[in-house]
Amino acid sequence: MKLSTNWLREHVDINVSLDQIADRLTMAGLEVEESKSVSGAQFAAAGGEGLSGDVVFDVKVTPNRGDWLSVIGVAREAAPLVDSKMRLPQVDMDGFRARQGKPVPISIQDPDLCRRYVGIVIRNVKIGESPGWMKDRLIAAGMRPINNAVDITNYVMLELGQPLHAFDLSLLHGPEIVVRRARPGETITSIDGEIRALADDMLVIADRDRPVAIAGVMGGAESEINDSTTDILLESANFDPVSVRRTSKRLGMTTESSYRFERGVDPSISDFAAVRAIELLSELAGGVVDGGINDVYPEVIKPLTISLRPQRANDILGLDIAPESILTLLNGLGLASRVVDGTVETAVPTFRPDITTEIDLIEEVGRAYGYDKMPMTLPAKSMQGRDNILGRFKDKLARVLISCGMQEAMTNSMIEGALVESFGGMDGAVVIRNPLSEELNAMRTMLVPNLLEVLARNQAYGMQNVSVFEIGNVYFTDSAGEPDERLSVAGAMAGSIWGESWNLPAESFAADFFTCKGVVETLLERIGIVGATFEKAQRQFMHPTRTAEVFVDGRPIGILGEVLPQSAEGVGVKGRSYVFELSADALMLSVPERVVVMNLPRFPALSRHMAMVVSDDIPCAALLETVRGAGAGILERVGVLDEFRSDKIGEGSRSIAISMVFRSSERTLTDEEANDAMTSIREALIKDHGVSFR
Amino acid sequence: MSELDTLRNLRSEALAKISAAGSSAVLESIDTEYLGRKGEVTGLLRKIGSLPPDERKDFGQAVNVLKEELAAAIAVRLGQLSSTELDAKLAGEAVDVTMPGRLFRTGHTHVLVETMRRIKDIFIGLGYEMVDSPDIESYKYNFEALNYPEEHPAMDEQMSFYINDHRLLRTQTTAFQHRVMEVRKPPLRMCTIGRCYRYENVDATHGHTFHQVDCFTVDHGITMADLKGTLQQFATQMFGKAVGVRFRPDFFPFVEPGAEIAITCVLCDGGGCGVCKQTGWLELGGAGMIHPNVLKGVGIDPEEYSGFAFGMGIERMPMLVHSISDLRVFMENDVRFLRQL
Repeated sequence: MKLSTNWLREHVDINVSLDQIADRLTMAGLEVEESKSVSGAQFAAAGGEGLSGDVVFDVKVTPNRGDWLSVIGVAREAAPLVDSKMRLPQVDMDGFRARQGKPVPISIQDPDLCRRYVGIVIRNVKIGESPGWMKDRLIAAGMRPINNAVDITNYVMLELGQPLHAFDLSLLHGPEIVVRRARPGETITSIDGEIRALADDMLVIADRDRPVAIAGVMGGAESEINDSTTDILLESANFDPVSVRRTSKRLGMTTESSYRFERGVDPSISDFAAVRAIELLSELAGGVVDGGINDVYPEVIKPLTISLRPQRANDILGLDIAPESILTLLNGLGLASRVVDGTVETAVPTFRPDITTEIDLIEEVGRAYGYDKMPMTLPAKSMQGRDNILGRFKDKLARVLISCGMQEAMTNSMIEGALVESFGGMDGAVVIRNPLSEELNAMRTMLVPNLLEVLARNQAYGMQNVSVFEIGNVYFTDSAGEPDERLSVAGAMAGSIWGESWNLPAESFAADFFTCKGVVETLLERIGIVGATFEKAQRQFMHPTRTAEVFVDGRPIGILGEVLPQSAEGVGVKGRSYVFELSADALMLSVPERVVVMNLPRFPALSRHMAMVVSDDIPCAALLETVRGAGAGILERVGVLDEFRSDKIGEGSRSIAISMVFRSSERTLTDEEANDAMTSIREALIKDHGVSFR
Repeated sequence: MSELDTLRNLRSEALAKISAAGSSAVLESIDTEYLGRKGEVTGLLRKIGSLPPDERKDFGQAVNVLKEELAAAIAVRLGQLSSTELDAKLAGEAVDVTMPGRLFRTGHTHVLVETMRRIKDIFIGLGYEMVDSPDIESYKYNFEALNYPEEHPAMDEQMSFYINDHRLLRTQTTAFQHRVMEVRKPPLRMCTIGRCYRYENVDATHGHTFHQVDCFTVDHGITMADLKGTLQQFATQMFGKAVGVRFRPDFFPFVEPGAEIAITCVLCDGGGCGVCKQTGWLELGGAGMIHPNVLKGVGIDPEEYSGFAFGMGIERMPMLVHSISDLRVFMENDVRFLRQL
């Protein structure tokens, strides 16, 4: 809210610099975000008079303090900070109260939504321009001067915080005022010229026949003040905050009025504000008041009395202050308090609807005492902090992948549904009902598309050798139709895994299927998972013959392989790219609880090699499985040395060379024992897989 | 010529050859020539049988002495030669040490993850237990349980992405409070770090997606002073000894008294600069004493227990420390940026 400090000074004596008062208000909870000097010339340029310059504060009013949304509200907060008192404008309330007559009947049909409605009639006004000083004030507050009648309603709203509305009395049917919920099918043309369809839970101000204003939000065009208006009905009412908020949101219109009503307007000030505005109308627009104050106030709202236990305040705030001091602090804020039997009793004025319980008063005590003056301690009891299992597991996954030379990435959870769809992942996807844009209308179901976009973006920046990973949530719809999430770990790579160097041929380190698989195998090994298996698989976005599904304990936990060229190009990746994505939740469940180390061997090992011609139909994993079975007892490990194809071998087969290490834990093996094992292995390979040896 | 004369000649000839040997290969052939199985010195020993018995002992000793002398001379010369040869070999292996090295392409932690880890370590040290909480949250945990009245203007700062009528993307990690307190009883000292979402258009300082850390404590006798002390501890560990914490009243429905947390501007040390809008302070998050309604909502008696809670944005911390002006860089994953941190 923009606040003229010239205006503020009319209601409170500020005996310190503006910087100081700005700082004190900020420390009291009313943050002065900006303090800006506006020259007289600037006011004049904006259509004002500009007799003098002003300093305009931009204050940030928290949603609980609707009472700060006025000059007197800020003056009231500032007063104890400068040892001063807030001054209300001079108004002849007694004179007005004595007046008789109600020229326009007012009835509140829905008192749950309208607590009070004050109407005063003024006739023979002359609509024209407002005086320059008033225009300057409105401009300082960021409002545009319109005409004297409308400007006065705005001026009093800014001054006292009470939104007002002026009707052209001659345009009201009856004339009468009925405050009621809208009827089905009713519409209203609001002052901004829009035709608004009203719902039956919206409160309206109606005349005899039709709605003439949307209560607390905006007036209607058909009864608005115009150049030929002479007679005015001024409205000063108090509407229910929730109702005003709902109506304003449904109609998509936030106004200075609705903003204030949503945050609570003091019901006690309705009549005062009405009289203040009428006096200004009579003074500046030459009108004559007809009748008295028509004040419909079905249930008068009285100050709430709240008890505060001084000990409780000290316990919460960590202070040790006497009840008398608490009293002084509260009274200083305008919260009239006294001590009764050791308890502080506070009569909460109606402009502070945010204070309803003891804890609200404790906050006031703290505020008045000064948060900055409170001591600093640590909780008396010491407790044992700890990480959670998933947190530790995520850290471990990241450590391994980083050691594999991969850069950690963080990407958006909200992505474009069409992208997910192109990766075949929209089945069961979580869709956002009110997305910011079409590019952010779904929750990711996998991390791979995002990581490929990261590759593409880096390639566009000239980085050809990139490998990235992310550990993050992916989202899906559960069997009950509710959205859910799980943790995923994924990587993507393209170009050289080493990078570029003057004495390294880049192509010799180009990432390929086996680089990608190697990362996954390293990851599994480092987190203690043994016996993972890999099977050929198909995915919409993956290379049809270079994709594997990963199984741990026989359960599928993810995929790896080369990205289908069309899919890679679809997100802008150039050249071949490789990805993996595993369920981190599933991995965590497969991690052994503890690892038992094996004793290191004491006897020497014997190494043997063997090359065989194998049909392409036989997967390498099956060969190795047979070797392990046949070498039982003394085969320590088996590995692949080489795979090659040649015309001599012929199509449909390849030569695979393997290496084996034999060792006994009890004695030194003889060559004969190793040779016997080799014979068994050869026989088993021939029997199981029909391999031939050259 | 006596056999001893032969021996003497052989000795001077061999020693001359050894000292003249120019390479370890020549030396090796000298070794074979004299000391090998068919070598000349070895040949002398075979002649012992043809000598008169009274000369045999002396001659044998003399040959053995010669044998040892020559072996020692060869060893000495070999030592000299291999050192020279090694020197020559090493001299031929020169590299230009100013040519660039072959850099390892190491992996790297994302700066936000690194920040989160540091925060986590600090709070674990202060006795907090880490928990995870879901991104997709219920209206109940995100708002209702946190004492947001229906249709409250406070929700204007928490514009949400909805999945359906009762599920949304959490707007604040504070949503974990009620979840934890539903299943755990005091004393509690809990911390969560995670992703939040708000319906906001993206610019340099706002994102629709961001990260927060949220902590809360519930125990007997917890005070606002404990809250202040805890956050001062955090600020000192995170930003350094010189950084102070400022508390001023603010409003969040789930705490009362409520406070805004600010730290001394780390760029100007509190003197006032463009980043802190000349105030010398940088806002870090919100805090306060847990509202009695929140405690009552999970069956904890606010007369018996009290607690504090606070939440802070993660992105802002590395932005301040590393002078990052646009938070969009965090999710763009340009490796040229990420590798700098």
